[in-house]
Amino acid sequence: MASRPWHLSRRTFLQGSGVSLALPFLECMAADPVARDRPKRLCAVYFPYGIVQRQEGTEAARWNWFPQGSGRDYRFNNSLAPLEPLRPELSVLGGLSHPNGRNMGGHDTADTWLTAAELKEGHLDNTVSIDQLAAMRFGSQTRFPSLVLSTDGGVGEPTRSSTLSFSRTGQPVPAQHRPRQVFDRLFGVDPRSLRTQRSSLDRSRSMLDLVLDDSKSLQARLGTHDRRKLDEYLDSVRQIEQRVGRSQRWLDVPKPAVDASGLHLSADDTTPGELIQTMYDLIYLAFQTDSTRIATYQLGNMNGATSIAGKFPALLGLSGNMHKLAHNARRGDAGAEPLGRWDRFLTEQFSYFLRRLRETPEGDGNLLDRTLVLYGSSNSQTHVNLNYPLLLAGGRGLGLRHGRFTRFGEETPLSNLYVTMLDRLDVPIETFVDSTGELTEILA
Amino acid sequence: MGRHFCLLALTLAWLPGAGRPLGAAVPDRSVEAIIQQHCVVCHGPSIQQASLRLDTLPTDFAGDARAAETWHDVRDALNRGEMPPRDATPLGRTDRDTLLDWLDAAILEASEVRSGSKSVVVMRRLNRGEYQNTMRDLLGLEIDFVKNLPPDEVSPDGFTNNGSVLRMSPLLMEHYLDAARDGLGRAIVTGPPPPVYEHRAEETVVDKLRTVNWSNRLGRTGTFVARVPEFPDVGHFLLRVRARAEIPEDAPFPRMSISLGYRADTQTPSRKVAEVDVVEDSSRIFEFRGRIEEFPLQSRTQSKYPGLLIWIRNAYSDGSPPPAGEKVSFEQDGKVKEKLVWAEDPEFPKIVVESVYFKAPDYATWPPEHHVNLLPTVPPGPVGEAHSARSALQRFLRRAYRRPIGEPDIDPLLRFFGEIRPDVGSFEEAMRETMAMALISPSFLYRIEDSSETSGHVDDHELASRLSYFLWSTMPDARLMDLADRGRLADLQVLREETLRMLDDSRSWAFVEQFSDQWLDLPGVHRVAINPNYYPRFDLSLKEDMRRETQHFFAELLRGEYSALHFLRSDFAMLNERMARHYGIQGPRGGTFERVALDGQGRLGGLLAQASVLLSNSTGEDSHPVERGVWIRRALLGDPPAPPPPAVPNLNGADQNLALLPLKRQLELHQDNEACARCHQGIDPWGLALEQYDAIGLRRESVLRRFGERVEMHPVDASSILPDGHEVDGAEALARYLLDRQARRFGRALAAKVLAYALGRTLDRRDEGAVDEIAARFEQGGFRLRDLCAIIVTSDSFRAR
Repeated sequence: MASRPWHLSRRTFLQGSGVSLALPFLECMAADPVARDRPKRLCAVYFPYGIVQRQEGTEAARWNWFPQGSGRDYRFNNSLAPLEPLRPELSVLGGLSHPNGRNMGGHDTADTWLTAAELKEGHLDNTVSIDQLAAMRFGSQTRFPSLVLSTDGGVGEPTRSSTLSFSRTGQPVPAQHRPRQVFDRLFGVDPRSLRTQRSSLDRSRSMLDLVLDDSKSLQARLGTHDRRKLDEYLDSVRQIEQRVGRSQRWLDVPKPAVDASGLHLSADDTTPGELIQTMYDLIYLAFQTDSTRIATYQLGNMNGATSIAGKFPALLGLSGNMHKLAHNARRGDAGAEPLGRWDRFLTEQFSYFLRRLRETPEGDGNLLDRTLVLYGSSNSQTHVNLNYPLLLAGGRGLGLRHGRFTRFGEETPLSNLYVTMLDRLDVPIETFVDSTGELTEILA
Repeated sequence: MGRHFCLLALTLAWLPGAGRPLGAAVPDRSVEAIIQQHCVVCHGPSIQQASLRLDTLPTDFAGDARAAETWHDVRDALNRGEMPPRDATPLGRTDRDTLLDWLDAAILEASEVRSGSKSVVVMRRLNRGEYQNTMRDLLGLEIDFVKNLPPDEVSPDGFTNNGSVLRMSPLLMEHYLDAARDGLGRAIVTGPPPPVYEHRAEETVVDKLRTVNWSNRLGRTGTFVARVPEFPDVGHFLLRVRARAEIPEDAPFPRMSISLGYRADTQTPSRKVAEVDVVEDSSRIFEFRGRIEEFPLQSRTQSKYPGLLIWIRNAYSDGSPPPAGEKVSFEQDGKVKEKLVWAEDPEFPKIVVESVYFKAPDYATWPPEHHVNLLPTVPPGPVGEAHSARSALQRFLRRAYRRPIGEPDIDPLLRFFGEIRPDVGSFEEAMRETMAMALISPSFLYRIEDSSETSGHVDDHELASRLSYFLWSTMPDARLMDLADRGRLADLQVLREETLRMLDDSRSWAFVEQFSDQWLDLPGVHRVAINPNYYPRFDLSLKEDMRRETQHFFAELLRGEYSALHFLRSDFAMLNERMARHYGIQGPRGGTFERVALDGQGRLGGLLAQASVLLSNSTGEDSHPVERGVWIRRALLGDPPAPPPPAVPNLNGADQNLALLPLKRQLELHQDNEACARCHQGIDPWGLALEQYDAIGLRRESVLRRFGERVEMHPVDASSILPDGHEVDGAEALARYLLDRQARRFGRALAAKVLAYALGRTLDRRDEGAVDEIAARFEQGGFRLRDLCAIIVTSDSFRAR
């Protein structure tokens, strides 16, 4: 158990339990009355390659991502200006990074943005991401434990993963990348009768049971490496069984009826604006209908060679792919505006998402009040794994205090923020990987 | 700073002495001295160029895999003459040989030590393509089984069939179960034959929408539509189109594009059935088949525009936009209305649609063949069901698991069948579920090889699978299974003949497509956005033709008796009308890719001048010499450069004026900076030689650059000094250089790529010997790709457990 990167808090009733399987963990949580209260949600959105950082006072610095000044009196530059109306809902965080990431390759850190692990020199085993930790805590209370999205889809390859989410054991969780598919999974209606569906689910359960039994007999015939592959398979079957169980529990609850007419479900990588907006719409709808409380969305990964998202700026007329824009912005003042315009484009989409959450009432507040939204990257300038550009929005109903731009020193690990976020979400952990405490600056 | 700093007296960390383990090479004093003198300056305690420190690098070649790989790189750098760098004290011939001899001996010994240990077999999950083809062949259905599967993992060497990186996940399992149930639900039918619907049409439907030129005659404008009023929701359909062409002399062929779908108010969801050239002016019947449920169908609730629509258009385009119609007034029901008319266009090739016939479902027998294949016998009554289930499963599992079947395979399935049978309506439904269970078992989803066997070679059935997934990306066919049953595949002659038979089969297109895509990174064309300010007339759909061009070129070299050195330089290209027009050369008249001789056409043949490669490695505005250089080293020379280091410093004197400099000058600055130069000296020169080609792969005399409003033209400079000091000027010279000087290296690199693909794993140092041998035989036979496949299949590596 020493390899577990997080530590359960002593104050919880889970003390001492092995947490060797997700299921018992989930089930005891389902009985927890606090967790049954109104939903708490987490969303994390990542963009690759970093942002503009030119010398203050120069013309180019107008495109700097980080605002001018600090504290309550900061002023947005062009890149984040679309967030002006949302100031009271968010904090700009400067100076944070993962100490483990500082020793990693310049483009390797998207994988560890939410995990804080160290992937280096052939040791490419990741650890659990904060969203999946939260999913272990309250994923069982919704139809889907989490929603994992990215532009490229699938899992990609280690250090260039096309997903932000990693399971308990550090396995990448495949991301969905086609809006239509996401929509159908969330809201698609099974035309079969309830009875047919129920017996089909029952059959699925016994089928999966038998497959599990039967596959174990394979073990004897396999070498060490293959046994690991088989374990991966068995683990997947077990999780599917749990999902079937979950579907059985949810069978009598009709899927929320959602009107798809305003959605661009056929948007793809040739129309970045529509695609990104639709993905945000889907996360919004998933939250609004309480289909899930956890979402991650990777806008692009740092695989300059293969990411299909690389061309997005060029499709918007910004003369170059993402990687090139980031390099040019680092190289000279002339590169600031093109990358800045791309940053601003992303900010506009993000602002749209936050506004949708804020405009939707929930209880005595709105959806955003009970949603923590983390937005940012793991490069400040390209190749630099320090001073991550980060925004934390929402969660005022969960005890967060906003409206400031706070700069931290390098001695503060980003994991401190994660500990505080998870704490606000009632995920009982005391430390996360290399955390040294909480990040109280964002608390009311 | 410079290199003249004081060298401390160092003791290398290699302690000679007692208990030297086998495979741990201890350098003698002379080797140590040479490394001290020549290498440690830049790869030692003070600085570590390329993050490499040699004085502390372990020499346990057999035990420390990472260190061994690094020593391997050291040997390669020495071999290529790249180290010591040009500006350092040269390494004398004797010293160089001493060093290389030591490295070679150490590597060889370690590889022998290691080959004694058990090799690593990896359960290989079927990747997307393999899963699709296997499901298709197993169930006998041409449907899309993978539309919901996420993209596959890619190995560091670019392959998507690498067993160790292909993962399983709950999301995948969910899709596999859905796809199995869905596929079996269609493959196994129930009930009496469904009613058959037929429809014939000779004239196009004329819609109220007057902006479309509804017509049987399809030129630059023109749409033919047939409306099928009644049709089933599932099943095979047959579509026959009788049509002829009207082609002005020597004009290209018109291209008939057929789609199925429906009209939903203002939208028309549809999917393409096929696209074919129409080449004759006498009428001909074109036949198409498919599954109706693979196309957008309207829901059966009321619709303003009921019916299935068949669209036929002429997809040929000469690049100019279609003309707008001319408004003409006419009178109807006493009202004056307007419509559009289109001028006759005598120069444009046309299609005349004479009639359309649609039939669905179209089955020669009932139950259809795919059903009978899965359930050959109908049980006489409840008593006979268990027996029928057993015999159907016996047959099905052998094909699904691709090996002989025993009781332990059948038992759990029969148990499941017995368990669910009382709850489901029919024998067929219970069999669908039972077979679905087989399709989510590891024996189907993975290629599993038995590691408990002690023999050195895989068994015949495992070999049959290796072979068919290598060349066809699907399960073995009946003949291959039969040969395996009879133990005939142990015979190398049989194995060789089978390889050639399989390459001649049309299913080998899977190898062409998969391997060429992954080796050459052809999907890269879709990652680069072409900037319309630079290429205003570029048609995005041409990207797919570019990819096809290279695939057809690969296929031609595979099928024909050509040397694979044609990849480096060739006197022919594989083009269709669109690609030939793009390159500006005389070529075929239709959409089919054909051999085009390049003599006197002013275009270089071979990969270096193919638009797929040039575009994938461009910025979408201009060439990208660094990307192109990386591509050449990775794809052609088998020597991918290391990924960029963690921290890349800014260029000296970097300011906004840098972007205004000609590209070559920018790259020179790159190389002035020592940190950049280490890697870029070995990369940029390769790409610079391709400067004559722009982002879309066309020859250019000058380079267009835009800075806001400002437009500049720089002359093309494609002269370059390659890392070994050889000077080349342009692609032609580079191709010649590669052919004259690097043919063997290319041959070896290609052999290694095909071997890695065939084995579905990353090659390592231990495969060196095998690659050397395969490459040598490949070369002896004149670098023939067909031979290479046969050499690999009959090699020990391919057959080894």
